[in-house]
Amino acid sequence: MFVLDDLLFRPFVNILDAIHTIALDELYDLEGLEDERKENQLLYELGERSESEYLERKEALEEEIEIAREVHQELRSGRVEVKR
Amino acid sequence: MTNRYVYGIVESGADLEFETDAVGGANEVYTVSHRRYQAVVSDIDTTDPEETDEDAKRHDEVLREIMERTNGHSIIPMQFGMAFESNRALKNVIRGARPAFRRAIRDIEGRIELGLKLVTEEDADVDREAIEETVADALESLAAQSVENDHFSDRLVLNRSYLVEEDERETFDDAVAELEDHPDLEDVMVQYTGPFAPYSFVDVKIGAQR
Repeated sequence: MFVLDDLLFRPFVNILDAIHTIALDELYDLEGLEDERKENQLLYELGERSESEYLERKEALEEEIEIAREVHQELRSGRVEVKR
Repeated sequence: MTNRYVYGIVESGADLEFETDAVGGANEVYTVSHRRYQAVVSDIDTTDPEETDEDAKRHDEVLREIMERTNGHSIIPMQFGMAFESNRALKNVIRGARPAFRRAIRDIEGRIELGLKLVTEEDADVDREAIEETVADALESLAAQSVENDHFSDRLVLNRSYLVEEDERETFDDAVAELEDHPDLEDVMVQYTGPFAPYSFVDVKIGAQR
């Protein structure tokens, strides 16, 4: 019975793991955050954002980028545990 | 700090030893030579420097300073992050990359890189194709080469680098100034930058054998 369970459900569990990994990947979209950091810099240089707006956004983005990097590193290492 | 951080490669003959704010907190830039090539370097405490905004800016500024000091010698700019654990490791890499350096110098000699970004005003609806065409008509014939860069923002209509003969710089400046008054660019902000060492037009990577 346990063998049958494994045969029936294991593929779905693997698919769920993969979907979860993709979702994490999108949630911590490193490339998108890097793009936003460059946009923030550009709009400041063009005078559309004030220095305080720019610095506030820059700081927030740097924090998000650091978290995203850590998550991606964990995902690559395979150490992220998927809990359901 | 025994590692060497590389900004670029020049042909021997340029006098390049100066104090400045360099990458990783160093304050002196100098050269490491191998035969006819010199790597322009500063000392650093890692072979894997993190690309912070501050250090990326320092890398660019040092390259600009080198350009001002090379008196006609072209510099092959390196991307951020090329660091080697010793002069010996660096010289080995220079030796292996000599043909690539020769080709790169031939391509960029006497030329500079200029950058143009066009950004829509907030919520403006612009005819992107018409703008691209107008810019191409005005600038492409004045440049030796040009390349489109990363569109990192939806508001970027154009992000392009141009390789321009140093002698043509003034003509190119005038053409960009004229473009700024063009009716197609009414709702667009213009950022014209440079000159830079021609990063976008050399493809020499020397990090692999670190």
